[in-house]
Amino acid sequence: MSGFGFFTRRLVQGLLILWIVTTATFVLMHLAPGGPAMLADPKLGPVERAAIEARLGINLPLPAQYLAWHRNLLAGDLGQSYLYQTPAGQTVLARVPNTLLLAGSALLLSLLIAVPFGIRAGLNPGGPTDRALDLVSFAALSLPTFWYGIVLIMIFAAVGHLLPAGGVATPGLETSVIDRLRHLILPVAVLSLPITAELYRYVRTGIVSVANAPHIPAARAKGLSEREITRKHLLRNALLPILTVIGLQAPMLVGGAAITETVFSWPGMGRLGVEAALGRDYPVVMATTLAVAVAVVGVNIVLDLLYRWFDPRLRIE
Amino acid sequence: MRVSRRIVTSLLMLSACAGGSSSSPNILRLALINDPILNPVLAPDVGSVLVNKVIFPGLVRPDEQLRPSPDLATSWTVSEDGKVYTFALRRGVKWHDGVPFTSRDVQYTFEQIRDPRAGGFLWSDYTAVERVETPDSFTVRFVLKTPVAAFLTLLGYNSGIIPEHAFHGKPVADNTGFNRGKPIGTGPFRVVGAVPGSSLTLEANPDYYGPKPGLAGLIFKLVPDANAQIAALRAGELDLVTLEPASFPGVRDVNGIAIRQATVPQHYFVGFNQRLPLFKPALVRRALDLAVNRQAIIDGVLKGAADLPVGTIPVALGQWFADSLPRAATDTVEALRLLGLAGWKRGADGRLRTARGELFQFTLRVDKGNPSREQSALALQQDWKAIGMDVSIETVEFAALVRDDLQPGKFDAILIWWTTPPDPDQYSYYVTGQINNNVAYSNRVVDSLLSAGRGETDTIRRRAIYHAFQATERADPPVLVLYYPREIQAMTSRLTGFPKLGIRDALRHVERFSLLPR
Repeated sequence: MSGFGFFTRRLVQGLLILWIVTTATFVLMHLAPGGPAMLADPKLGPVERAAIEARLGINLPLPAQYLAWHRNLLAGDLGQSYLYQTPAGQTVLARVPNTLLLAGSALLLSLLIAVPFGIRAGLNPGGPTDRALDLVSFAALSLPTFWYGIVLIMIFAAVGHLLPAGGVATPGLETSVIDRLRHLILPVAVLSLPITAELYRYVRTGIVSVANAPHIPAARAKGLSEREITRKHLLRNALLPILTVIGLQAPMLVGGAAITETVFSWPGMGRLGVEAALGRDYPVVMATTLAVAVAVVGVNIVLDLLYRWFDPRLRIE
Repeated sequence: MRVSRRIVTSLLMLSACAGGSSSSPNILRLALINDPILNPVLAPDVGSVLVNKVIFPGLVRPDEQLRPSPDLATSWTVSEDGKVYTFALRRGVKWHDGVPFTSRDVQYTFEQIRDPRAGGFLWSDYTAVERVETPDSFTVRFVLKTPVAAFLTLLGYNSGIIPEHAFHGKPVADNTGFNRGKPIGTGPFRVVGAVPGSSLTLEANPDYYGPKPGLAGLIFKLVPDANAQIAALRAGELDLVTLEPASFPGVRDVNGIAIRQATVPQHYFVGFNQRLPLFKPALVRRALDLAVNRQAIIDGVLKGAADLPVGTIPVALGQWFADSLPRAATDTVEALRLLGLAGWKRGADGRLRTARGELFQFTLRVDKGNPSREQSALALQQDWKAIGMDVSIETVEFAALVRDDLQPGKFDAILIWWTTPPDPDQYSYYVTGQINNNVAYSNRVVDSLLSAGRGETDTIRRRAIYHAFQATERADPPVLVLYYPREIQAMTSRLTGFPKLGIRDALRHVERFSLLPR
């Protein structure tokens, strides 16, 4: 199959997934009890309530609201946020750079740590390094983010006064790279920890299983040096599945960093989505879901293309 | 390894440099949990209300005893029948953009407040207003349909004045630029920068009509997590936060942090649904009330940060609070006697039953996620179980609790609270058939007292009415008042000029705040 045909087919599948995701979100969101936070004021009387419902358009039957959402989407309008009273699409897009900065840094850091250590441990399974890292990685996977985040803040900000306790930059101060970096350190440390641990485990397992595959003794019999075997025959095969794991991490990085973002007052998309869900800010819930779904589908399409490029077998029908 | 050592070294350098640069002198940093709506007419949430008090003064403001005192209005007269209020406006006041403030702005603000389609939240406060007149640029006259004794208090509560010229005749809710980024008020501080999701920066307004602000500026930082707020306070990145009682240990005895408690106009209560035959008799509601050990809840759950109640008018309301009446007390013997009179007897198993063998059973609903309220509910359950009642607890998300349970009246018992303006008018809460009377309370004496109280403009007579109301509540409690919470404020000990008030009212005096040098 040609690369182009493959790409179009994945694109169509992607659009279908987006439709399913948004429809499911719409249904679940309206099934949840309660309603928009601005209607949760116990003092509101029937007159104000009716006026607000009419202004938000939530007095219409659900199918009509569902159709209206799609109609407006085609016109590029995702509606007006109830909580922020700003266009929902714009509200979500404004958070994208912060999310990309945090998620990108965390992923990069995770790869830088997990891959070398994973290879090291995988090449000597059962050795002291492997056993020690086994313990460390399980501990890292089990640490609850909200607790670990607060502990880091207490150590580095409240007691040590070394790093800021939260936010993306010091308000009232001119933007500087150093200030931004200082704000980035703690949230990246927290967000990347479980990702590092998970990637590490995949890398290690990948190395171990490929090392036991028949083509490795074959290469050895051919007289290749251990160095060359590792580089050409082991790593290339073992690291490919990492691409898949990165694809699996994408939704967690883009939308699921909400706890880290809340603890560190980081204005990212995850926190926006959670706040919107709690406040029943329907337009922002839909816009965030759409944005995260697009990101996940996009990342996976890119990874599939990368796979075909790395692994020649996939290019043959 | 050499590379990683270099990384570590540069990280250390990063963390070492500019450690204290965030604490610019004389700028007060406060916490918010979400992006505020910078418009007092539209703002529904506490955070927005706080910010708007700094930017948008009202005609009057509450003084330290929460009595109305002059602000944008310098003086006023009330007609004999209490229906016409005439305000003389302050001259020479400028909006933050330099445009002069006039009576037309006041009229415009109340046109918006009184139009339910404008999207405001103050509509119900001003239903008695018939019209707003502007005889000249510096006089405003409110003509009311009926006398409203709380009128001045309401004007000083959340009703900041907005500039007509900023809206160009378009709906107030549509002006995102104003409401979200660049509001124009007349207050002591003006907004110079808004970063959505992060912070709001204000600087002292050089043209402010009052005393020169003691602070150079204010920064509202968005810190949604309560624990993170405390950490930021301890790190010196916030100067003032309000706390839940559970967080007390995190700030107590910390160098440089002062803790204060302020009484606030709130009453926390358990509402019993009096549509149900179970809760209809006053005897039963009095027994439920007597069975509760409030002191244990205040000491154990609220770490002492609350006051024992008398009735539904909290102690923060000063002269309106009936200090001469005894505070609520526990008396389980009396509770059981009253239940006996109402036909409930304890069986051999200790459970209460009617003559026909029905059990005293109900469900207490409380909002999910707030430890103080969830623990209070558990303590209540224990107290009622101890006299033979069968109580189960259900936790529900706050929005669902209000919309699906409280307002349609679909509940047995509900633990919730009212935050009121600093005025004793509780007409809409406890008069038969009124919109906020969700418990369906009905007492003819209360109806006539609360109807008389809201129109009585003579302070001494009015006080007598509300003290009589609180005495009546003891015999026929509309709700079980649990406690009057105190707001716990943790602030840098460098802060001076902060009045002994809850933060909502204290921020109306923000020009008096100042930070001592480090």
